[in-house]
Amino acid sequence: MRKNTWKFVSLFVVALMLFGACTPAVTPAPTEPAAPAEQPAAPPAPPAEPTKAPESPPTAPAASEASVTVVHYFSDTLGKETVTKIFDSFTKESGIKVIDNTTGHEDFKAQILVMLAGDNPPDLFSYWAGARVQFVVDSDRLEPIDDMWASEGLDEVIPPAVVKGSIYNGKKYLVPFGYHYAALFYNPKVMQQVGITEFPTDWEGFLAMCEKIKAAGVTPIALGSMNRWPAQFWFDYLLLRTAGPEYRAKLMAGQAAYTDPEVQKVMEMWKELVDKGYFVKDANAYDWTDASDQVANGKAAMTLMGTWITGYWNGNGLKPVDDYDFFPFPTIEKGVPNAVVGPVDGWVMSAGAKDKEASKKLMTFLVKNTDASATWAKGQGALSPNKNTDPSIYTAVMTKASAEVAKAEVFAFNYDLATTPPMAEGGLNMFAQFMNDPSKYQDYLVETENVAKEVFKK
Amino acid sequence: MAQSKRFWRIVFLSLPLLFYAVIVIIPLTSSFYYSLTNWNGFSKTSDFVGLANFAKVSRDPLFLNAIRNTVIWMVAAIVVPSGFGLAIALVLHQGVRGANFFKSLFYLPICLSLAVIGQVWIWVYHPDWGLLNEILRLIGLQEATKAWLANPGTALPAVITAWSWQQVGLAMVIYLAGLTSIPAELTEAAEIDGANYRNLLRYVIIPLLSPATVVVIALSIINSLKSFDIVYIMTQGGPFHKSDTLAMFMYVESFKKYYMGYGSAISVVLFLIALVVIIFYFRQVQALEHLYD
Repeated sequence: MRKNTWKFVSLFVVALMLFGACTPAVTPAPTEPAAPAEQPAAPPAPPAEPTKAPESPPTAPAASEASVTVVHYFSDTLGKETVTKIFDSFTKESGIKVIDNTTGHEDFKAQILVMLAGDNPPDLFSYWAGARVQFVVDSDRLEPIDDMWASEGLDEVIPPAVVKGSIYNGKKYLVPFGYHYAALFYNPKVMQQVGITEFPTDWEGFLAMCEKIKAAGVTPIALGSMNRWPAQFWFDYLLLRTAGPEYRAKLMAGQAAYTDPEVQKVMEMWKELVDKGYFVKDANAYDWTDASDQVANGKAAMTLMGTWITGYWNGNGLKPVDDYDFFPFPTIEKGVPNAVVGPVDGWVMSAGAKDKEASKKLMTFLVKNTDASATWAKGQGALSPNKNTDPSIYTAVMTKASAEVAKAEVFAFNYDLATTPPMAEGGLNMFAQFMNDPSKYQDYLVETENVAKEVFKK
Repeated sequence: MAQSKRFWRIVFLSLPLLFYAVIVIIPLTSSFYYSLTNWNGFSKTSDFVGLANFAKVSRDPLFLNAIRNTVIWMVAAIVVPSGFGLAIALVLHQGVRGANFFKSLFYLPICLSLAVIGQVWIWVYHPDWGLLNEILRLIGLQEATKAWLANPGTALPAVITAWSWQQVGLAMVIYLAGLTSIPAELTEAAEIDGANYRNLLRYVIIPLLSPATVVVIALSIINSLKSFDIVYIMTQGGPFHKSDTLAMFMYVESFKKYYMGYGSAISVVLFLIALVVIIFYFRQVQALEHLYD
């Protein structure tokens, strides 16, 4: 009897082993919730006011029930609510049903992969403009939309800097839905306390400001690099402001080396900031919301972050201008084209989309309908890629952000969207190493260049 | 008669076997196949690259790092849950007051998902207001406070500690079951012969508990090979791969770098390691069967 019990237990264990050790190898889709988002997750934003649904009578094409299936990563409560509202108004206007099969934000990456691999893709899905879309385009999984772009006159609607993010291998694939801009967000009360009234436009001014803040007993810069990506904006801006956008584009494409003097210089400047004690201690222990809180409660003066931080702060009851504001990353080398950094969220159509016409109608609606773009920008704390979006939906801070982007000569995607995914992994890793111990940055650059050699097969 | 019995056996088994084939055998074999390709997970096509992925495995410093961490995890998995589990089981088996209460208490973590446990321990380790640093400050060990999960030296031990917290409860229950199955005659006989508790433990109880020990250790090792969820929640393998396990590494290569072929090769290696453990385990179980004969 006892013998049997142990036999049973051991068989049970073996069964566990087989299921446990082998199946994740095959279908490693993570099912754990609440994962820290790698990309700036659609952050909590102020409750969106109910927007007036266009009251036009449903002009539904009488017969066939057309429908479009979509999957997206706007899966937090507010994001999902807002996007559903937009889909509903589209259905009202066009009679085309939208079937939303969205799961979690972090699940999205695995989900879309599995759907594409299984030849069962949604008609439309949200994706990050830049190297990630390029990757799917190169895998022959997306449908170009040049005809629709031309017939709908989207060049008239979308600013040229953002249009660039829609073009891959010479064709248009993505309609932008919202974008963000990274800048130095600060706490005006702290700045006032330490006696800073003017914000620096050059590097010397920036260093002097940090010194002044530090002397007053406040940490100048908050950074929460636990999930690595928040550190990338420092690398991005330092590189764009010294070597310039052209060199950076080369580095992102594997045509320049991480061991180049241009990159060394960036790391040296960044190291100087860390060595002087301008950054918070243990940046890797905090996430971006921790860093935002440190600025909000006055422990730190500023943080380099995307405009989604305004949504987070508004949600916590902070008031734009009074409680937070921003200034653009200062100029370092004169004569380098003025670039801004940020991500663009967009929609792409699968090559295997079942109803391409209906899908194009929805894509057009998402970018062109000003009610939809206003609802989205307001709900997400994002900037609208549609020039005709009512500017009064923005807070004063967002209006200023929009103006900064309009002034810029180049719109550059942040690091993890600018370079191919395996390279981004290597680079983000380097940033985390750097924040832990900047003294060995030379070694990290060599390691990162080794990754680049493997990725770009030089 | 025998013929129809056989027929029904096949009928009844066909459905579960089909199910098993679809969800285990087919994915498993396709995983083996993908390990020989450079599939990126997106493309309709991929090239056959032979053993190139396995060659890459052998020289990838990140793979060696993940192996090292997994071995550390395994060693901890062998020592910590069985050690603490046995100690707690022995104490509770003596008939401590409120033993059932303590049994439930120690068993409770098993009922939580690793995602929840990970989150709870993230709070414990938080550098500013985490329980651990608060305690250290309270007893005057200000200098010992750390950002436990961000520090390259402490991230892996910190995650393993959180994981062990759950495993101890499981080990305890298995040992308690083992203890109740030891015939009272044996321990009484030893006592009559004048054995003290130490000798009783050493010559009677622990040898008779060896089937339980094998189960505890095998479960711990397998769970350590599977260690993905808690790492994913707590550190994502960070800071900079310092807490990467094989499973985490496989995930990053497959789903973040889109090296699906390479990820499959890692999974094959993981499978082979698991296979070695399974064979070892089977032998142990067979060797132990005489105990109850």
